[in-house]
Amino acid sequence: MLPGEALRLTFVKLPGLSVPVETEVLLAQCGCEADVAGLYLCEGDDRFSLKLNLRHEAGECRSRQLFKGMASGNARALFDGRVYVAHGAQKTVALQENHSLLLDAAASVESRPQLEIYADDVECSHGATVGSLDAQQQFYMQSRGIPREEALRLQKISFLSPVLERLPESLVNEVVSRL
Amino acid sequence: MDNLLEIRNLHASVGDKEILKGIDLVIRRGEVHAVMGPNGAGKSTLSAVLTGRPDLVVTQGSILYDGRDLLAMQPEERAWAGIFLSFQYPVEIPGVSITAFMKAAVNARRRASGLEELKPAEFLRLLKEKMAFVGMKPDFASRAVNEGFSGGEKKRNEIFQMAMLDPQFAILDETDSGLDVDALKIVASGVNALRSPEKSAIVITHYKRLLDYIVPDVVHVLKDGRIVKTGDRSLVEQIDRQGYEGLDG
Repeated sequence: MLPGEALRLTFVKLPGLSVPVETEVLLAQCGCEADVAGLYLCEGDDRFSLKLNLRHEAGECRSRQLFKGMASGNARALFDGRVYVAHGAQKTVALQENHSLLLDAAASVESRPQLEIYADDVECSHGATVGSLDAQQQFYMQSRGIPREEALRLQKISFLSPVLERLPESLVNEVVSRL
Repeated sequence: MDNLLEIRNLHASVGDKEILKGIDLVIRRGEVHAVMGPNGAGKSTLSAVLTGRPDLVVTQGSILYDGRDLLAMQPEERAWAGIFLSFQYPVEIPGVSITAFMKAAVNARRRASGLEELKPAEFLRLLKEKMAFVGMKPDFASRAVNEGFSGGEKKRNEIFQMAMLDPQFAILDETDSGLDVDALKIVASGVNALRSPEKSAIVITHYKRLLDYIVPDVVHVLKDGRIVKTGDRSLVEQIDRQGYEGLDG
């Protein structure tokens, strides 16, 4: 990427697909920005892995990653996200988040966030959570008359919403119809 | 049948701790009952049992609502039958707008009653009318449910939802906590506008303040899982003067 350029990239993995995805983003000149996000929905026997290698080779670049995953049935999902900050890539800002919802006991999600930093004046963070649907939200919705199944669907939309907001309406509808 | 709600010898536990230790309470159509009592008395547990919160276990007793066995009903079935709880701590649902949330709630109840879903224009008309009723600004409809709301906004949102769903039996669980006087008046007028000879309510509160605006027909004092005293509204004044000490029946 060239100085001052910005990349905004969003991945969507629909249920029923087993694919490994590998991507590298290279911030090679000063002042670039990369905003990368994605959602992956895994069900049945889906096997999914996302390997993202985000390299800050030049200083004063910013990167942000937000990945949200859901797994049900016997599905397995892996997020393997590496942030590399080269020696001399000062004033780097790199944020990474990966959140997963585990919907069945037999499903599994794994998160492998890695930071590899060789510069000393940087701001880097990463966070990963794995959770299940929130019982309080569930009860709140049911108490308003929203049937259990529909309440579960709304909770999934709620969970995915920070990524859904980035998508065109037709793709949002496609994703929501598959929840 | 005059009785809308009949609670008989109700015992309920969370985990292995018994919280309600034998509640008897009958509410007739058209009546507003206040339930007062100190912290930890079991007031919120009572509201949770009535609405079917899954972490509570009823170990003894029965509840009849409109002649039906309430304890056999799912939380959403209770809502369809006209029960509404204004939560003490309303839950945030990021990414789900008030509009989407209420549309799901209103239409689910209509389907359960054998009615057609509201057409989008009809729904929006209802939404606007009820927003005006509780004094909500136009951007309210597109905000995510309770996300980033102030304490007062959350409580007003509960009353807004109550107005949208037009319940037959409303439970207000400390709806007055954290409200300033102006918000309290809005909430109270919202509740009072829904009073009718067919509808009933339980108002759970620590304080006299709310009951100055929503005047109850019957007042109960709950202490340590039991109703220790029942009276008319003069009991509110007595509690305000003396506190709960010495009110052991």
